[in-house]
This record gives sequence, C-alpha cells and structure tokens, in this order.
Amino acid sequence: MIRKKHGALLITPLGLLLGGFFLAPIFMLLPTSFREYIPGSGFRPHFWTFDNYLRIFADDYYREVIWRTLELGLCVTFICLVLGYPLAYVIVRGASRWRITLTMLVVFPMLLNLVVRSFGWIALLANRGLINTMLQQLGAITTPVKLMYNMTGIMIGLVHIYLPFMVLMLVAAIRNVPRDVEAAAATLGSSRMHVFWAVTLPLSAPGILAGSILVFVLTISALVTPRMLGGPTYKVMATVIYDEYMQLLDWASGSALAFTLTIIAIGIIAFSSRLTQRWVGAA
Amino acid sequence: MSALDLQSLGKSYGGADVVRDVSLSIGQGEFVSLLGPSGCGKTTILRMVAGLIEPTRGRILIGNEDLTHLPPNLRGLGLVFQSYALFPHLTVFENVAFGLRRRNISGSELERRVNEALALVRLSDLGERYPRQLSGGQQQRVAIARAVAPKPRVLLFDEPLSNLDAQLRDEMQIELKRLQQALGMTTLFVTHDQAEALSLSDRVAVMKKGVLQQFGTPEEIYHHPETGFVASFIGKPNRLAGVLVERDGRSGKVRLPGGVELAAAQTTGRVGDRVDVFIRTEAIEMKTGPGETGDLEGRIALRSFSGASVQFVLRLGEGVEIVADSASSSASAALVPGDPVIISIASGGVFAMLPETCHA
Repeated sequence: MIRKKHGALLITPLGLLLGGFFLAPIFMLLPTSFREYIPGSGFRPHFWTFDNYLRIFADDYYREVIWRTLELGLCVTFICLVLGYPLAYVIVRGASRWRITLTMLVVFPMLLNLVVRSFGWIALLANRGLINTMLQQLGAITTPVKLMYNMTGIMIGLVHIYLPFMVLMLVAAIRNVPRDVEAAAATLGSSRMHVFWAVTLPLSAPGILAGSILVFVLTISALVTPRMLGGPTYKVMATVIYDEYMQLLDWASGSALAFTLTIIAIGIIAFSSRLTQRWVGAA
Repeated sequence: MSALDLQSLGKSYGGADVVRDVSLSIGQGEFVSLLGPSGCGKTTILRMVAGLIEPTRGRILIGNEDLTHLPPNLRGLGLVFQSYALFPHLTVFENVAFGLRRRNISGSELERRVNEALALVRLSDLGERYPRQLSGGQQQRVAIARAVAPKPRVLLFDEPLSNLDAQLRDEMQIELKRLQQALGMTTLFVTHDQAEALSLSDRVAVMKKGVLQQFGTPEEIYHHPETGFVASFIGKPNRLAGVLVERDGRSGKVRLPGGVELAAAQTTGRVGDRVDVFIRTEAIEMKTGPGETGDLEGRIALRSFSGASVQFVLRLGEGVEIVADSASSSASAALVPGDPVIISIASGGVFAMLPETCHA
C-alpha cells in the first residue's frame, strides 16, 4: 500500500528539478527588483525600494508598453483561435487522406528557425518588400503601406509562429469530443450548425482554453520576432526588459518589469479559466 | 398502416454488404428488437433509421412519409445510446430539455414536460446535477428521459443496457418494460442479449451477417426457429451432426451418430439430408430411476456446480456428448462422473436444420 509519505517521496525528484531550476532562479531575482541601480557603480548598497514598481505604473511610457503587450497577446491569441479552429476541425473531421498532409503543413514551419522565419517576413513586409512593391506596380497604392515596425508587423509574425501550437491543441480537443454526443443532439432536433455551437464548441472548451493560454503566454514573452519586426523603437515588454538588462544594465528595473508582466499574465489566465468554467458548466 | 417501415434497406461499405436488403414492418406502439451477434448489422440498421448513416439501398418510411434522405434533426425520432451520450456540460434538467427547446417549447410548458420525463424514470430530485455526478444506471435513465421527453414518433435503443452490470441490467430491463407499457411508443431496440430481446419485445428480428433470419414473436423465435442460425443462437443449444430420417410437416425425426434417434419439433431439408441437430439444454431431463420407452441411456462425463444449477456433460454412446442443466435442488444434481443416467429429451427442444451455407 502506498502511504502519503511514499507519495511525497515519489514526487521528490520532479519537485527538486522544478524547484531548483525553475522556481529558485525566479525567486532569486525577486530581491533584485527591489534594489536601486546606479549607472556605473551597480546596486546602491543596503538600500531597498518599491520605486522600480511604482515607476512602471506612474510612467506613461511603461504603461503604454504594458497595454501594447497585452493587446498584442489578446489579438494574436484571438486570431490564432479564429484561424486555427476551422483548420483543426478539418484535420479531425475531414477526409482521412488529407489528415496527414494538413498536419504536416501545420507542423512544417516549426522546423524552421525563428530568426529565419522573421527575416522571411521582413522580406515580405518591408517598405520595399515584396508586398509593397507588388501593390505599387499594380497601381493599387502610390506610397508603401506600413506593415513593419508597428503592431501589424509583429502580429503577423507572431500569428504565423504560434498558430501551429493552437492548432495542435485544438486537434487534440476536437478529437476528444464524443461523436455519439453530437449524434444525440442531432436526433433531438439540432441542425448541424446548432450541434456545433451547442455541443462541439463547448466540449472542446478545455482545448480552446489550453491553446489560448499557451499562445498568450508565448506571445507576451516573445522577444526575437517583436525585435525584428518591431524594430529598435516599437517595443513590447519582452524587448523593454531585454534592453533594461542588456543595454542599460539596470537589472533592478528589468526584474521589476519581468515580475509585473508575470503577475498580469497569471491574473489574466486565472480570470479566463474561471470564465471558461462558467461557460461549460465546470465540465 | 405500419408505424415504421423498412423496405429492402441495405448498406455497403466498399464492396462489402453490412446490411442486405432488410425489410421490416413495425406496427404502431409495437416493441421490436433487432437481435444478433456483434457485426450482424443491427446497429447499422438503427443508425440508418436515425439518419446517422446514409443507406445504400432501400427506403425508410414512417407512416406514409419517406425519411430515407432526411437529416436526423428533421426525423422526430428519439435515440438512446449505449454510451448514454449525455451532454456533460449541461445539467440533467437541461439535458432533458434539449430536445424540447429545439421544438420551441419554453416556460412552464418546458418545465412541466421535463419534470414529467424525469418522474417517468424516477429521477425527479436530480435535475440540478451534472451527468458525471450520477451512476451509470442513473445516466442511462437520464438518456431515456431525454429521448422520451419530446414525444418522438419512434423510440430507438442502441444496446442501452450493455454498459451496466448484471444486476442493474435486470432492474433496468423491468423498468424499460414498464416504461414501454406506460408510453405505448413504437420502439426499435437493438441488442445482442437474447434474454433482453425475448422478454421485452412484441416481436424479435434475428439478424446474422446483415441478413434477416427470422421476424416473429418471442414464442415463435424460441419454439419454431426457421433457420439453423436462429436455432443455434437462441437458448443454450447443443449442436450435433445427424441425418434426417423422417419428416412430417414441421416436425420429424433425426438419427445421431451411434444410431440414437430423436424426435425434432422443427426441421428443414428432405429425408436423408445431413442436418445440424440442436438440442436445448433445458429440454434434457435426467432421471435416476427406471426409464420409459424413448428414453436414452448415458453416462456422466463431467459435472460442474454453479450455484442454482449443475451442468453435466453426458456421453450417449461413442463420441456423442451433450450438455445438460439440472437444478441443484433436484435428485440428479448429486450424480458424479461415471454414473449411468437415463435421459429423456423433450421434442420441443430439438431442431434439425440444414447446415448453414456460408455466404459473404
């Protein structure tokens, strides 16, 4: 018989791994976020302050970056969901001969390095890139449309990168929806449209939630793509944090920003989980 | 006019026939079972009636209305699944209300009819629960209430009891019978369990490999099987090879290897044909006292005690062995292997059928 003590022993290796390599570094960073950085000489000794946090909420610039990051996260998640659900549905329910081809097409971009893919988008989206040049030569526009160094560019790049994650999560969720339950709704008088809204969609809610959380978290913490498609001036939280650490060497502000982002993300995830639970009757 | 009419209904996948031109006519308020081993096409027929599978051939009619190509939501039928298929994200009340809402019933009328359906399956107090908070038997009853609530034209059951354990199954069987009598709904019931089919149905359709073998009352199916398959599938028969030596209308006489001759209630084929002889275990009586004319002599080869009854393997001469049941309270239950025994076989439990020609 397994006693409680044995159970605790069994999870110890995993606990140590997670605690040592994941939790400990995070909490070691926590004190840093309460220090003050003096350029050229490092942390001011024996001095603790909330200033780093207060500045984030007081400073318009930081506030704008936080909103921009959250907006980016929500938009990318929403677009991935809207584009990904039909695709996942076709993969699961469509003709079986298309299943492997479609899944391969979804997974294939993940085999390419992030930097390479972002460069690909630069070639397409830049002012003298493929899209603008083509539109100009067709006479559709006279001056190039700004597709880079702004929200549009970052969003396009991130949707492209995170769509496969969403699709794979949704495929698993839709596959788990029992066909008999859908058939039951149909025999009770539901049209195909109503079966989808009343049964398939709510029953795939766990996958929608999981996929959305994954894409949201990856988006707000993405660094490479926002840097490349947003340029040096159009920043999101991840690029600001990177710059605080690596350019300004202000670890204190950087850590405070990182913790703020983490807490906001956790808050949003908790809220959306609660919302989903209410929607599907805690199923 | 029949309530549900299947006219040479057939289904093929690729080149393989799953259902071969089955015709059934079910009367208003009648309870009909489709009985057969798994893979005999009975569930395919049910799903074609429900509109979940498109038939390859034939027609499905309710009254004079042709349903063959109607989508399931426009057929007005109720279907109870083997897997219950309840909506896990809705309460019991909302599960039952689902079909009523689809028919634009709302307010107090909705509430009244949901409660009526829940009372029918004796779950009135559980409306606020979610399906996962219920036991298997309760979930099955919710599924029945959900199918019954919109007053469907025909009620369809797809092996509704096979996921329940034996004791619960017996209870539900009685409950289903009560329900069917109270509602008087035309019902098509799919099962592989002969006891279920015989005890619940007005008529039983026995299927094998997509072919309808026999369609008749439970008594006809049991006492007068028309094919070798029905004779072998219903009851607990012994199967022996024999030769038909006499035929008189339905009944006749067969000779078993070793020269033993038996009267048979139901025969097919001509005198001299090789036949399969089926002897129901329940038709075999074992006597310890002196025999009468027509009785057989044998010896006990094996004894196996199983509570209410004792099973014996009896040897009737060279190479002919049959299985017999005996109540464990009877005198013959005390017999042990090696004992001689007198056996009388009631002709009503003996059938001589031409061997099945194997098609498909």
